[in-house]
Amino acid sequence: MSQTSRLGRWSMLLWVAPAVVLLAVFVYYPVVDNVFLSLYRWNAFSPKEVWVGLDNYVNLAADPVFWSALFNNVAYAVVSVIFQVGGGLILAAVLEELVHGRWKGLFRTVYFIPAVISLTITGLLFQFIYNPQIGLLNQLLSGLRLDALQHSWLGESATAIWSIIAMSQWQSIGYVMVLFIVAMQRIPRELYEAAYIDGATRAQAFRRITVPLVREMTVLAMIITVSGAFLVFNEVQVMTAGGPNNSSHTLGTWLYKSAFFNDQMGYAAAIAVVIFLITVTAAIFQLFLNRGKVVQY
Amino acid sequence: MRTTTRATRPISRFFALAMTAGLVLAACSGSATPTPTAVPTAAPSPSVAAASTEPAASPSPNPSPAAELEGTITFLHKYSDPRYAPYFESVVAAYMAAHPKVTIQIQAESDQGVKDKLRVLAASKQLPDIYFSWAGDFSKKFVRGGLAKDLTGDITGAWKDSFVPAALDAYTYDGKLYGVPITLDAKYMAYNKKLFADNGVAVPTTLEELLTACDTFKAKKIEPIAFGNQYGWPAIHYLTQLNPYFVPAATMATDYDPATGAFTDPGYLNSLQAFADINTRCLTKGSNGISHEAAQAQFLAGKSAMHYIEAVEFFAFTEKGGAPADFANNWDFFKLPAPASPAGDVGTLEGAPDGFLVNPGSQHLDIAIDFLKFLTNADNAKKLVADLGWLSPVQGSATADDTFAQNVTVVQDIAKAKAMAIWLDTVTQIDVANAYLNGLQAMLDGTKTPAQVVADIQAAAAKAKTEN
Repeated sequence: MSQTSRLGRWSMLLWVAPAVVLLAVFVYYPVVDNVFLSLYRWNAFSPKEVWVGLDNYVNLAADPVFWSALFNNVAYAVVSVIFQVGGGLILAAVLEELVHGRWKGLFRTVYFIPAVISLTITGLLFQFIYNPQIGLLNQLLSGLRLDALQHSWLGESATAIWSIIAMSQWQSIGYVMVLFIVAMQRIPRELYEAAYIDGATRAQAFRRITVPLVREMTVLAMIITVSGAFLVFNEVQVMTAGGPNNSSHTLGTWLYKSAFFNDQMGYAAAIAVVIFLITVTAAIFQLFLNRGKVVQY
Repeated sequence: MRTTTRATRPISRFFALAMTAGLVLAACSGSATPTPTAVPTAAPSPSVAAASTEPAASPSPNPSPAAELEGTITFLHKYSDPRYAPYFESVVAAYMAAHPKVTIQIQAESDQGVKDKLRVLAASKQLPDIYFSWAGDFSKKFVRGGLAKDLTGDITGAWKDSFVPAALDAYTYDGKLYGVPITLDAKYMAYNKKLFADNGVAVPTTLEELLTACDTFKAKKIEPIAFGNQYGWPAIHYLTQLNPYFVPAATMATDYDPATGAFTDPGYLNSLQAFADINTRCLTKGSNGISHEAAQAQFLAGKSAMHYIEAVEFFAFTEKGGAPADFANNWDFFKLPAPASPAGDVGTLEGAPDGFLVNPGSQHLDIAIDFLKFLTNADNAKKLVADLGWLSPVQGSATADDTFAQNVTVVQDIAKAKAMAIWLDTVTQIDVANAYLNGLQAMLDGTKTPAQVVADIQAAAAKAKTEN
């Protein structure tokens, strides 16, 4: 091996070293150490950590709030995939194909604006919308003579999490839509022109050309959306803090409450391990599904 | 369960969890949860009003000579609200002006934020030199962990005598004093005098009369009691006062102790049933979806006849505090009335002081203690009353000359109380507190009955006993 190539190899390692060190210190070490933490009982005030083995995981399996939080995360993921990925794809296609000129830019901006608003502000805004006394939603229902459908949207166990999920769709659909627009703009126009000459309808072009050619972006959007759904924290914390009666907790907020409110750090570490496993599994599963299925015409 | 202990590496331990939490949480930010503080069932304080309404008895020790003190300390408080923070900034500035070689770094947090921050700092052994803490079990955690300095030998003589005794009692555990109280608080039902007069409603003296008054207001399409329970603590404040009415004091003391708690006395169920009645006949519907502040706005707007609040919130009902003049001149308050046939003690009043603890690991304990002495001297106590409209535990700080009439009455009322009831969510063990917080929210949204909530509380108490 020549001296130049050896130098090249060392310089390559030098370039990647900072990132590797940062990842090792701030990502991999905490993840591994957290697994050990989950085997102890300890809190912020206790001078010692007590070894409890898998007790935290046994307690987790018997904790109804954990299962309710997991269900809420799954609900968040399913609804988000349908509305954000599905809805974002359709919105992007409509804007690219049916809207022209300055209207295209206007609508893109209108749909994207919620994504750049602070979650705290959005949460407070929707607290007003959902307010049972003066909220816009109940006022609208009243105006439509649908008083029977009025609720204390964030104050009832049955509606709290769904109200938060709905807000999240409003906020994030524009972001996913923009991702799809970028992907669609890379599709050669000739493919559509050839299809239309052959008599294809817009719906057929969407199904046969657009959807297959944005598959990679679809997978990326799904990974982002599903992972995001399992990491949901701010939305819930701002709007309900997991209430009422723990009904709107997600795994993230239940972890936070266990650690910083209930003083159960070991238990919170166990929840963190579960979240980590779920998100990693979901990402691997989705990447596996997409393996070798890149479409090119 | 094995009890092997792992070599303690607090900072790395906590760092690891924090980093992992950081990975799994999208970000971190909490909604502000205005919350209660807590006082252990404090000893009667017959001297409060008498002393507080007297002129200041020169209890204020002067700051130590500037030349003696040198260094930098950190000071964590929970009054970051723009209405309150300037007071603490000005007192710190005055102290530093008198001690040119001393620097005090203020860390201002919100009511909710300080709970999280204290836990993070405690776990990483990075507690500030002086830090805020509620009385009751919240402070006891720091004491048990060796994170609070025993101030018994420091708070003596004129400084000790300057405080209302009950306020010091709230921070005394096992005969040792660990905290310096800064505010005094109690819970009352504020009411709109004009709405009461216009509708022929008299101030209720029993719980039954309160419910009847609610019926009258409801019949006239006026919301009886503005109530927002978004974060759970407003409901638990009702139970903090109702439990002493329905449960004998000795039984309650046994049950609030994690080592002996059982909550089997029928009074607990009666107390929850009374709250259910208040909810049905008096409180705002859908209250779990309404914040305490939003409910307070309804009361301020004259749309509700009553609102259950802490005395430290009274300032918001004054013109200086931003209330419209027609409202500011038309409100008063009464203690949540007891049932006609109480099984417990009607002389107990819900309330507690807030205060500061000192980090025993501080490199500048002399400055920390000297600053707390300065913060609670007569001048600064009067300034607190005048600037913020709060009550100070320093005797003689609230007189008719420096605060509004209702505050003076509160001081007199606290003096009449046989005992003070600590906030239920901080006096009880965390599992029991959670059972109350969650159970009351479930009662309000109709998913649990009082009997089911009592069963949950009993189960939580049993769990707390095994963990104690």
